[in-house]
Amino acid sequence: MFRTMLFTQWTWARNPLLVGTLAAFAIPVISVHTGDLASVDGFTVRTYLETLQTVGIAYPILAGVLGLVLALTAWGPDHRGRHVYALTLPLPRWQYALLRYTAGLTLLALPVIALWVAALVASATVRLPVGLSTYPTALATRFALAAVVAYSAFSAISAGTSRTAAYILGALMVLLVFQLTLTLADTGVDVVSPTFEAIFIWPGPLAVFSGRWMLVDV
Amino acid sequence: MSNAVEVRDLLYRAGKTFEIRDLTINVPTGSVYGFLGPNGSGKTTTIRLLLGLLRPERGRITILGGDVPKEAPRILARTGYVPESPHLYPMLTVDQLVRVHASFYPRWDPTWAGELQRTFRLDGGTRFSSLSKGEKGKLMMLLALAQRPELLILDEPTDGLDPVVRRDVLSALLDYVSQQNATVFISSHLIHELERICDWVGVMDRGHLVAELPMQSFKSGIKRLRVSNPPPLVGDTPFVILSREPGTGAAETWVVRGWQPPMTQYFDGVGAALREVVDLDLEEGFVELLNTFRQPQQ
Repeated sequence: MFRTMLFTQWTWARNPLLVGTLAAFAIPVISVHTGDLASVDGFTVRTYLETLQTVGIAYPILAGVLGLVLALTAWGPDHRGRHVYALTLPLPRWQYALLRYTAGLTLLALPVIALWVAALVASATVRLPVGLSTYPTALATRFALAAVVAYSAFSAISAGTSRTAAYILGALMVLLVFQLTLTLADTGVDVVSPTFEAIFIWPGPLAVFSGRWMLVDV
Repeated sequence: MSNAVEVRDLLYRAGKTFEIRDLTINVPTGSVYGFLGPNGSGKTTTIRLLLGLLRPERGRITILGGDVPKEAPRILARTGYVPESPHLYPMLTVDQLVRVHASFYPRWDPTWAGELQRTFRLDGGTRFSSLSKGEKGKLMMLLALAQRPELLILDEPTDGLDPVVRRDVLSALLDYVSQQNATVFISSHLIHELERICDWVGVMDRGHLVAELPMQSFKSGIKRLRVSNPPPLVGDTPFVILSREPGTGAAETWVVRGWQPPMTQYFDGVGAALREVVDLDLEEGFVELLNTFRQPQQ
């Protein structure tokens, strides 16, 4: 059954997944310039790290997009069939949902491995000045964690009803409209920033996406 | 005789306007049970309740000896289902869909699935989204039959199919039933089709089961009578008068239910004469039954 689930999700997700896997391979290789950086001056090193930090934004974005795409492709065909096929299969609903979820997790391994291999390749081809190191496994692990978090969150929304998705979007809209009203009334009260901090700053549930994503760091 | 499907005092509400109330159904094991009813009468909702897709507010559903929805997975492994609208994954090909489906059913018969695919002339490489309506119907029937079910629940399985495809599908169904002694619960509004294949019939209207009886009783019990000199007030009759219309002269046409030949004596007792007894086909009987249910005789 798991192979069946994996096969169906691979069929639906393979195109965006392959693009994501290519991107996961390309970002570390392109971001870390190959060559000899061992003898450059401090200013150049600082500029280099700033560039790496800027490019590093691509990692959490890619992880989020991959999580979203895999979640949507995992549940989209069932939604279109109003879940009738899935619900008339001879297995408990929790087991079906778990099979779909784990099949998506398995597919996520492709871009994660691609990123890890690319990070290892990039690390092997660059000569860094004293004080700088590469962190290919840490970066790949963090990317995997971010992708899993994104996939899990979007899966939970996507596996639910349209009403569930509408409630979540509605709550976000209410928050933004409320903040807009406060701003227009010139109250000086900010509710959006604390909310986002609670979500994206440790120990928030999406903290893995924030902070520096660096293959090369001190 | 045991029942493959038993429904007791079921209550289900959908919104504020539609409800299925006090529904009781008995489908004898090994029978072909025709589930009749006009559009919107609750046939598909009832089928979804039987499959555990919907949860009743009250009542009990027992299928193949198991409680629905509690034992739904075990029951669904022994039940083939053909829905009103095909719901399979559009991007997958016929071969892929067959493989996917087979992986969930322990009693899947790959040899027979192959035979059915050839009989139905289904190209394995064609995507589901590219199949015609008839091909989709045939594929759904293939998937339902090749899992070797003890019970088949078919929701308008031949609706919209051309006569040739309909014949192929029904022929495969009847072959299977005759070989396996399986039970079939088939909903349709193609009454003549059910008349040929069913041995039991249940009639739904507005969320109620109006009648449930053997097909033979249903067909033979509803008659059109031509009566001369009918009494203005009929009094207690041994049959149920479904409708009464004036004819030519002093004659009337009655449509009655529960008719048996000895009841002719009733007319002698009230000074009327029975001129003719006409058998009604299932469709006419169905229409008259619904009319009675909607406008009960006083």
